[in-house]
Amino acid sequence: MTPLYTQINSVGSSILVAENIDGGYIVPDRRLFIHAVDNVSFTLEGNEVLGIAGESGCGKSTLAKIVYGVIEPPLIVRRGRVLIDVGNRNLIDILSSDRETIRREIMWKTLSYIPQNSMNVLNPMKRIRDHFIETLKFHGIEVSKKDVVNYTREVFNSVGLPIDATNAYPHQLSGGMRQRVVIALALMLKPRVVLADEPTTAVDVVTQLGILSFLKEWQKETKCSMIVISHDMGVHAYMDNRIAIMYAGNIVEYGDAEKVFTDPLHPYTKLLIESLIKKGEKSIKKGILGSPPNLANPPPGCRFHPRCPYAMDICRKEEPLETRIGNNYRVKCWLYSNSRR
Amino acid sequence: MSEPPKIFVIVGETGSGKSTLLKLILRMLIPDGGTILYKGRDIFKLNREGVRWYRREVQAVFQDPYESFNPIRRVDTYLYDTAKFLLNIGKSIEAIPIIDEVLRFVGLDLERIKGKSIKEFSGGELQRVSIARAILSRPRLLVADEPVSMLDASLRVSVLNTFKEIRDKLGSSIIYVTHDLSTAYYIGDEIAVLYRGVLVEKGPMDVVYSEPLHPYTKMLLDSILEPDIRIKERIKPVKLSSIEISEFLAPGCKFANRCPYVKPICSSKEPPSIDIDRRTVSCWLYIK
Ligand SMILES: Nc1ncnc2c1ncn2[C@@H]1O[C@H](COP(=O)(O)OP(=O)(O)OP(=O)(O)O)[C@@H](O)[C@H]1O
Ligand code: SF4
Ligand code: SF4
Ligand SMILES: [Mg+2]
Repeated sequence: MTPLYTQINSVGSSILVAENIDGGYIVPDRRLFIHAVDNVSFTLEGNEVLGIAGESGCGKSTLAKIVYGVIEPPLIVRRGRVLIDVGNRNLIDILSSDRETIRREIMWKTLSYIPQNSMNVLNPMKRIRDHFIETLKFHGIEVSKKDVVNYTREVFNSVGLPIDATNAYPHQLSGGMRQRVVIALALMLKPRVVLADEPTTAVDVVTQLGILSFLKEWQKETKCSMIVISHDMGVHAYMDNRIAIMYAGNIVEYGDAEKVFTDPLHPYTKLLIESLIKKGEKSIKKGILGSPPNLANPPPGCRFHPRCPYAMDICRKEEPLETRIGNNYRVKCWLYSNSRR
Repeated sequence: MSEPPKIFVIVGETGSGKSTLLKLILRMLIPDGGTILYKGRDIFKLNREGVRWYRREVQAVFQDPYESFNPIRRVDTYLYDTAKFLLNIGKSIEAIPIIDEVLRFVGLDLERIKGKSIKEFSGGELQRVSIARAILSRPRLLVADEPVSMLDASLRVSVLNTFKEIRDKLGSSIIYVTHDLSTAYYIGDEIAVLYRGVLVEKGPMDVVYSEPLHPYTKMLLDSILEPDIRIKERIKPVKLSSIEISEFLAPGCKFANRCPYVKPICSSKEPPSIDIDRRTVSCWLYIK
């Protein structure tokens, strides 16, 4: 069975391209569609860390599931493609490939996914070490037991896991430990892309910094690309080269992380950055008024308009277009749109 | 806790014993030994009227606002019930102005919450309702357990500011439990750091923050990932290792396995706590 390769030249040197992704959840009994990802596009270059930030419920994990191609009911994808370079500029569209192709060519090998809930990846009936051995076997990689032991010893040490954990069953480990097992599993085959959804949720600050330092070093060493999803702007400040800020299913601002942190353009990003509490700050800060919208019935026009201090008439009626600013920087707001009427 | 009102922050990781401590303070657990005195009274030896008095004096706000309310009950009924039980105000007509006042204090009002159930609120709004309920009896002490950790960044600050206003305008003291050192600094007057069930350092926020004495406090402060892009250059990467399991059983300092300054005595004998420079610290480094 030969996988379906598509040669596409328009994507430059990008290793992964997500184009116009639109998806969400169907809640049949209530006839609702939760529009969690609305026309989202981004590119991932070689050897970079791209962050995806945004508040709880804005659609980050939904986007991650779509990018990885785990689309199970009630999740549906209505539009878009996710192209990934599986080597030699052979691009596969994850969304139109069959499961078998994804399992053989993509999972663990080209793209590794560390989901927010690591229990979804680990088989509760199998010991941790068997997960490592079987993943290698599945990809036809012959290694001795000793090599597997050496690999796990090294990586477990780097992420602060006791070596004994290899003999445990997943349920015998804490949530934070399981997540670190999945990190070790995800890096084993040296994938070109690592997609990590909240990789440090259930751990303390010291362990968090340890895991992130390790991921960062790994990325630099292997020159792979990484997508880091987190609601925590501290994680992004430390990890990202570029960042996408999501609000209610849209990417509202996208580009160089330093620029987004120091000179954001979108009103939501501005307020968000201003509301962040830094170490040693006591001066009174202001939050953002109101709360994020219900994605089953998002506000018309700009989804941020009910909370935006700059909202204009057009914002309440028409969805803002994305404005490109310079190279590879985008903002989705009428304030920056030339076609503003 | 004495006057003037203060925000006293307890910082510790999961498993450091903060939740147990809070449950004791709230009389949700009975201690194996020791007593807790509040205004000179042993809180585990109160009669019925004493329990009511204690509830009026000491109130709590918990981490998950969605767990504080029953999803099939109207949210406003909780406020009426509290008014009835703690303030003896059974007639809703009399309770309305008092309830409206506390709701306004947290940035809401009765009109906005009337008749609604929890799914009609955002997490931030619901957390503010539970704060309103807690301050209805004008408690002298408010205990808050990670009250903003479930809230979005954009909602977090306004809830934190509400706690400062409770201290400043209502004159209540607050015990604020968190693992997040940045919010701890933003809100707290005093800080206590717990590690594996042991108090390692305690003192005024400013001194502990600017010159931490205990090696664990130092490590925590050095590991905070600030939401500031310059953190990339500033922070020193941490190397983890696999030896962190036997800490609970160790006879000496619980931090000995991870401590960069560990001395021979540390792993055999528990360090005593001593007072230096306006604070208390438990570490052999400071024993002369
Ligand atoms: N299985 C599901 N069925 C229905 N709705 C869902 C489902 N999973 C998520 N949602 C909804 O889709 C929206 C986006 O959820 P998603 O998990 O992508 O958010 P997120 O940005 O990852 O949030 P968090 O930071 O809390 O992880 C939310 O409104 C959520 O309630
Ligand atoms: S489009 Fe309008 S409402 Fe939306 S963020 Fe921009 S100014 Fe505010
Ligand atoms: S007592 Fe010893 S091991 Fe414990 S913190 Fe102090 S120096 Fe480190
Ligand atoms: Mg998520």
